Amino acid sequence: MKSLEQIKKEVIDHPIWRSMFRGGKWHDTARDRAQHIIGNVWLHLHPAKLRKRAVRFTYTWGLGGLSFGLFFVLTVSGILLMFYYRPTVELAYQDIKDLEFVVTTGAFWRNFHRWAAHLMVLVVIFHMIRVFLTGSYKTPREFNWVVGVVLLVLTLLLSFSGYLLPWDQIAIWAITVGSNMASNSPVLGAEGPFSVMNIKNDARFMLLGGTYVGESALLRFYVLHCVAFPFLAGAFMIVHFWRVRKDGFSAAPLDPADRNEEKLDVWPNLVVREYLYAVLILALLIAWSILVKAPLEEIADLNVTPNPAKAPWYFLGLQELLVYFDPWIAGVLLPTLIVAGLAAVPYIDNNPRGVGYYSLRERPFASAFFIFGIVMWFVLIAIGTFMRGPNWAWYWPWEDWIHHKPPPPPTWSLPNLAGVLALGCYFGLGLVLPKLVRKDIPFRKACWTGTAAIAAAAVGLKFLLAALGAGVQLGWGQLLWLVFSLDLYYLFGFLMPQKHIRDLSWARYVLTMFFLLATIGVMLKVGLRLGFNVKYIFSLQQFSFNI
Amino acid sequence: MADDKLTPSQPQIPAPAAAARPVTRRNFLWTAWGAFAAFLGASAGAMGRYMFPNVLYEPSQIFKAGRPEDYPLGVSTKLLKEQRVWVVRTPGSIYALWARCTHLGCTPNWFDAEKRFKCPCHGSNFTIEGDVIAGPAPKPLNRCSVSLLATGEILVDKSVLETRPGFREKSQFSIPLAGA
Repeated sequence: MKSLEQIKKEVIDHPIWRSMFRGGKWHDTARDRAQHIIGNVWLHLHPAKLRKRAVRFTYTWGLGGLSFGLFFVLTVSGILLMFYYRPTVELAYQDIKDLEFVVTTGAFWRNFHRWAAHLMVLVVIFHMIRVFLTGSYKTPREFNWVVGVVLLVLTLLLSFSGYLLPWDQIAIWAITVGSNMASNSPVLGAEGPFSVMNIKNDARFMLLGGTYVGESALLRFYVLHCVAFPFLAGAFMIVHFWRVRKDGFSAAPLDPADRNEEKLDVWPNLVVREYLYAVLILALLIAWSILVKAPLEEIADLNVTPNPAKAPWYFLGLQELLVYFDPWIAGVLLPTLIVAGLAAVPYIDNNPRGVGYYSLRERPFASAFFIFGIVMWFVLIAIGTFMRGPNWAWYWPWEDWIHHKPPPPPTWSLPNLAGVLALGCYFGLGLVLPKLVRKDIPFRKACWTGTAAIAAAAVGLKFLLAALGAGVQLGWGQLLWLVFSLDLYYLFGFLMPQKHIRDLSWARYVLTMFFLLATIGVMLKVGLRLGFNVKYIFSLQQFSFNI
Repeated sequence: MADDKLTPSQPQIPAPAAAARPVTRRNFLWTAWGAFAAFLGASAGAMGRYMFPNVLYEPSQIFKAGRPEDYPLGVSTKLLKEQRVWVVRTPGSIYALWARCTHLGCTPNWFDAEKRFKCPCHGSNFTIEGDVIAGPAPKPLNRCSVSLLATGEILVDKSVLETRPGFREKSQFSIPLAGA
């Protein structure tokens, strides 16, 4: 009887095994550990050695690897689902029902695919946040950040295109709303500003292959979801990983305390960690998919809109903004600006400090702006998810949806001349003012005195209007919006840039300020609507061009 | 040009014509890359055009909605499920509103007690005429083209729409009811 050790030795020394895996007897030496990484096609994406800090969990949180891991298990579960799913209006919903109730483990795979997709969106977003906060997009990694932004967009597109396939109510209405945004694109959409198209040749028609979400739209989204987007994502991932490898992995710098630090062997130190995270998240997903069913509503019906009709959670922030802006802004312009702004980040931010570690202090402006944007995005998502009920009215989470809510108050628009002046002043002065002040304003002191002055001025205005008995009076809610808006502009649009980016070159400064003013401007418009019932600041109805 | 005339006995050496000049490397490459770019552009254009179908298998946009007498005063939702249209009867006229919110295409609901259409997607509110009174919708609801057939039935065409006040009251989009 041979011992297990002997059998193992014989297998490993066998010519067939050797032809597959090469390498000889394993000596636990640095050379063998490096050879193990270099000599393996799957592992050689790693460098042989890494700095200690790069391997630490709380540095990368393993988010990039987890994104890929989730993409991998989504591919596997997606292929399994494809064996039973037929993308036609008559069959799609029935096939999903079959997966739920007839196919062995069918419900599990559907749940798994759905929950893994949601998790992937979340993990990819957090991966971006991590890379931003550790300054890992700076030289020489600028372009790889752009590739990452493309991958983020592709992740959202993958998730969104899969949303239609179950052909239930929430699917068809999410895609109806989403594809109508395409028809609101300027010039190229039938309903957008300065449109030159009609509903049978505009951008939405090209996307849906018809004038509404029907048979051809389902087939198109199926092909996009199962073939086109995964193919594109795969291509961009290859570029992304290749560059990660060429740029020396995560941007962990030399430990300043120990200039001669020994690097760690990637095998087994990093590889073991990667597998550990992958196994943990897989276990979590499997448990979650066994316990929680993926939602499935009634079969799609174009004549009945569910009330409320909500987009998938990651687009609920934009859906919330659709209440305050025309679709061409909230659905087309703002997403474009967000993606363009993200892609431009490494080329605008030329601050060389803060690469490879978390530091808010060394990059106060960049961090504050980015965190402000992310918080705004998630707050809007939370409002759309938890606070919106039937007819998109505001319901607190503890309120029952049967309660009747009063309809929103009637709105009014600024006269166009006043609107143009207001917009011009906002962007013009916003660009020039922080550069005009040459002397450094002490931030903390100015922050409080300014806020106090704004609050005092607003309260003064309220009582002045009351004393004059003017036709326009200021309510307390309006007062709050006024103070919030002015203070937001004062702190983020004036004080921060005045202190931190005044010395940027003109091109960088103008771009930064444009994105900053646009971000703040979104909040200001929300304030104008909620506090003062303003519908449009500027409006050319005949061209559908309303701001 | 008598000097140029050569005697037949002499061998004739033709002067190189401008067109026969050898093609330079630079010009050849310009032409070749240009042709390649044109080919790629045309291919992309062809693929883009391929995505626009020429024949649509969508249901007809024209339907009969019964007689005006079938409708009581107010908003009728009985055709909503099948045709996505509200038939509205006022004391003087009858018209058909297309039940598609002008914001992003959801189907609003009619609330008779409040005399409003309310959209479930982003909270737009419309009057019985279709005018926006609250929420983000940029335009009033669309009215469908309507006509009265010889049989006394209403013919509704959802492919001909009008939203502008002043135009939507014209005969094509509203049937006057004398003495109703």
